[in-house]
Amino acid sequence: MRKNLALLMVFVLVISMFAGCAKKEEAQEVVIYQNKVEINDQLTAFAAAYTAETGVKVTVKTSGGDTPYAETLKAEFQSDRQPDIFVIEGLGGYKTWESKLVPFEGDEWINLTDLEFVVDGKVYGFPVAVEAWGMAYNADLLAKAGVDPESLTSQAGYKAAFEKIDAMKDELGIDSVVAMAAGPDMRWVTGLHNFNGYLSAGLPYGDTTVLDKLNNGEADMDRLTQYADWVELLFQYSDKTVLLTGNYDAQVGQFATQKSVFIHQGNWIDPWLVSNGVTFPMAFAPHASVAGTLDSIFIGAPSFYVLNKDSKNLDAAKAFLNYMATNEKGHDYMVNQAKMVPAFNNVTLKPDTPLSANVTEWLAKGKMYTWLQNDMPDGFGMGTIAPIYESFAKGDISKQEFIDQIAAKIAELK
Amino acid sequence: MKKQKKDSLVFWLFLAPALISFVVVVIVPFFMGIYYSMTDWTAVAGITPNWVGLDNYKDMFSSLEFRYSFIRTFIFTLISVISINVVALTFAFLVTREIRFKNFYRAGFFIPNLIGGLVLGYIWQFIFKSVIPAIGGLLGINFLKELLLLSDPNLTLFGLILAFTWQYAGYIMMIYVAALLNVPQELLEASEIDGANFWQKLWNITVPMIAQAFTITSFLTLINSFKQYDIIVALTNGGPTDLYQGTVVNSTELLAMHIYNIAFKYNRMAEGQARAIIFFLVLSVVSIGQVYYNKKKEVEM
Repeated sequence: MRKNLALLMVFVLVISMFAGCAKKEEAQEVVIYQNKVEINDQLTAFAAAYTAETGVKVTVKTSGGDTPYAETLKAEFQSDRQPDIFVIEGLGGYKTWESKLVPFEGDEWINLTDLEFVVDGKVYGFPVAVEAWGMAYNADLLAKAGVDPESLTSQAGYKAAFEKIDAMKDELGIDSVVAMAAGPDMRWVTGLHNFNGYLSAGLPYGDTTVLDKLNNGEADMDRLTQYADWVELLFQYSDKTVLLTGNYDAQVGQFATQKSVFIHQGNWIDPWLVSNGVTFPMAFAPHASVAGTLDSIFIGAPSFYVLNKDSKNLDAAKAFLNYMATNEKGHDYMVNQAKMVPAFNNVTLKPDTPLSANVTEWLAKGKMYTWLQNDMPDGFGMGTIAPIYESFAKGDISKQEFIDQIAAKIAELK
Repeated sequence: MKKQKKDSLVFWLFLAPALISFVVVVIVPFFMGIYYSMTDWTAVAGITPNWVGLDNYKDMFSSLEFRYSFIRTFIFTLISVISINVVALTFAFLVTREIRFKNFYRAGFFIPNLIGGLVLGYIWQFIFKSVIPAIGGLLGINFLKELLLLSDPNLTLFGLILAFTWQYAGYIMMIYVAALLNVPQELLEASEIDGANFWQKLWNITVPMIAQAFTITSFLTLINSFKQYDIIVALTNGGPTDLYQGTVVNSTELLAMHIYNIAFKYNRMAEGQARAIIFFLVLSVVSIGQVYYNKKKEVEM
């Protein structure tokens, strides 16, 4: 008897191991698997409001920040409940997930934006938000130094301004002219954002000639040489500690405490500035990444919602995204709750944070350079070339070596 | 006969939960991994991987970054195995003597081990970036004040070893404490009567008696140093950069992190898998060799 009981218990143990794998039937439900931790609460609240209005359940799953999204997304696809909507970041993500994607067709939001993600004429991605970066400046300090922001459109203009401000360091109470970071924690700033200047500055919007050459293993040596001057200029007028070992907080902190006039960051630093009580006026100036006159900042959609081909709830998923783009509640969510700059031209709400508000002005003027940094091969920007910037910043290699090393890494892409 | 059959049924049933889970989560993935390392697998569901033979292994051995990472990992492992064991053994001697508050010290030395590697990495990052320059400023030592410890490749490696030793020495100390308490007092007393001094007692009695502990502690420190990942992520994130044969490389991107980066940052899963298999082989050979060598030194009472 006792032996039978023991046998039974072993059976229960073994069976319970597999019981967890049993599948459940799902009702009409849209699952979004997204990567912005900072908007998780707002999006969940918006999804709940949507459910209350339409009866379609929308579940928001988030992974991001310190847990790398691209990796967890793969795990999510191996599970028994694949997401209906997930996020890709440009062409690299498209190539990885190509076999899982289905294009949008005839959706209302497509006519309301210029920033949708298109491959071969088919619309695959819904722009989550617009983000932009340039040389953000502290307007008070710049005025105090007597520099006209309008003059910051070329390398010569920047050089003159930097020299003038650098000479007035003590008067302005700053540590360095620019808050720039090139250390191990900040490789996205150099390898992606700064390098994007090489790829798109001065070219018409959507021009990918330099990028295409890069993806074929060909460097544009003239552009690269001009671009190296810009990198040198930025590094020369940066604070060494922040430049070499600083993290995000150190870099944004230097700008926020008025210890620098410029910062090489984008409008995503707004929440940081607001929560730390920063009130001085600020705006963006163009990056003088290459020679010539440059009049635009880098504007783009960092990520896109895409549809899972195997989703059973495709129509519900599409309806939810359409609602977000066309309904006023969706606009309120994007602008006022999630503090994003929407990519849709039917939105009349204006962001209340300084840099985001400035981005809408540039967007309205149409002065934008393309984001191409996410269309390079995986890992190229942050993994392959960003360390070269760090060595250049430390002085381990000269400007000529910097140019040669980057050209060599581009040649390896062939 | 019937009873024998029943016994073996019971035997296999009791073994089943452990055996099945071991096969499912260790054996099967291991062989799948070997297969994937010879394909162009990308881990995206629905794409069938193509067979590429030994290409991934060839790429690996021609990669400068991999070679550099390998060398750095060996340096890191060697120095940390020595430093952890020396520190742990010293602590163990101190807290097994008749001193006041010895239990308090034992707990104190052990506590860093309870802190997760990530948290600990950030703590040491703060120390290296802010506390040391602040101390330098306070004492008027300009060298310390302007020291960017985390921008120098070799200093950073030593910083990592320091942080890792700080975390792990307490744990290893506990193993040594247990071993030291088991050394028979009568042997020590007898040798004292024969006129042995401290070093003679240590070398001829204590060390042979705790040789078993050496086997365990060297094994643990060896494999844990070799596989180190979390402290590095938080403390240095692989940086700063170094120049190796004219190429810019990441100076603290040790093997575990290197494999992770190849697999996930560059999205070259199969190549990462190939490197992981070599990593496994090297680690197995080194640790088996170490255990074999240490075992020979152990004495039986």
